[in-house]
Order: sequence, then structure tokens, then C-alpha cells
Amino acid sequence: MPESCEASVTLAGDLHARPAGALAVAAAKFTSSVELTVGASRADAKSVLAVMGLGASSGQQVTVRAAGPDAQEAVARMVGILAEATKVGG
Amino acid sequence: MSDTPKVGIVLVSHSAALAEGTAELAGQIAGGTVTIATAGGTEDGRIGTSIDKVEHALRLADGGVGVVILPDLGSSVLTVRALLSDADDLPDQVVVADAPFVEGAVAATVTAAAGGDVKAVLGAAEEARHARKL
Repeated sequence: MPESCEASVTLAGDLHARPAGALAVAAAKFTSSVELTVGASRADAKSVLAVMGLGASSGQQVTVRAAGPDAQEAVARMVGILAEATKVGG
Repeated sequence: MSDTPKVGIVLVSHSAALAEGTAELAGQIAGGTVTIATAGGTEDGRIGTSIDKVEHALRLADGGVGVVILPDLGSSVLTVRALLSDADDLPDQVVVADAPFVEGAVAATVTAAAGGDVKAVLGAAEEARHARKL
């Protein structure tokens, strides 16, 4: 039975191209599906263009949801990247 | 992961500056672990395409697990097709992506950086047609 997991993080900076790339590269290495939600917009975290298309900016809350055998690790990794990478911008 | 060979990317543009700038952008977004080779402009530096430049770029980008070629417009596609149909002894698993140039290059490079195979990298490039930026 696939496990699912969810966590939220408030962005310390805008979600620019480089952090979006880092997220997508990391997300694609997990078996689980990984989705980001910002307000009413949702994106497949494995698609860099979809992640950039969220237009997520500083102060917004991003919710990460993963479903699959490595969902917990995937969510932890995404939250870590979102917290770190948006600090330096891109 | 970094020791595993990755799918290479070839950017074919009428403009050397456009090919090189797109390679720089895609490389930065994807974290710099993918070989992106460019074939931009003619042999004498004008706007146009060069079959020899494409062949050279293809060999540079080949890490043994395939190469995805992104042409920009019109005769870039024709030049790539001419090379693939005429040249001997090209790398295995070379495919051409029907994709927007900048978005396709970024999506393809990110998927290659994550260790995707030729099919996955081609799919990411071609899905870029449907990506909304607003």
C-alpha cells in the first residue's frame, strides 16, 4: 500500500529558476509522485517548467504532497530544498 | 548518481549566441551535471546552420547513453535530419525533440540531470509545449 505524506513550508524568498531546477532534479529521483501546491495552483514537482509556472514568491506557503513507497523521504527532501534554496534566490 | 553517465543534450540554433545562452541557462538551472553541446550559426559565424557543427556537437554530447537534439526553427530541423540520415557511425540512441527551444532545453536538461533515459529526456522536452508560464 503506497504511503502518503504532506508538509508545508513558508518561502523565505521567491522560487526562482535555479531552486525550481534543484527541486525537479531531486523530485525525479524518487519513485513517489510529488506535488507542490501554492494557493490554488498545483504542480508536478518533477516538472521544472510546472514548478516555475507556480510563480511562488517570498512569504507564500508551499504544500508538498507525496504518495508512494518513498513519500516521506521525498517530502523531507523537497521541504529542505525549499527552505534552503529560496534563501539565496536564483 | 554523479558517476552514472547521463543523456547528452545538443542545441542547434541559427545563432551561436542563442545556442550558447540557452545552454548556459539550462546548465545553471539543472545544476551543471549534464553535457550540453551547441551547434549555432554557420562555419564562418553568420546566422544559419552547419551540418559539421551539429555532428561535432553530437559527438561531444555523447556519453554512451544517448543524446537528445533540440533544433530551434526551420532549417535547423532539416540540417539535423540530413545528418542523421546520411552520416555513418553516429552515437547510438540519438533522437530529435519537437519542442520549444528554451523551455525544451531546460526541461530536457533537468530530466537528464536526474538520471532520466533518452525516452524520459525526450518526453520532458516535448511536454514543454504544454507548459504555461503565466
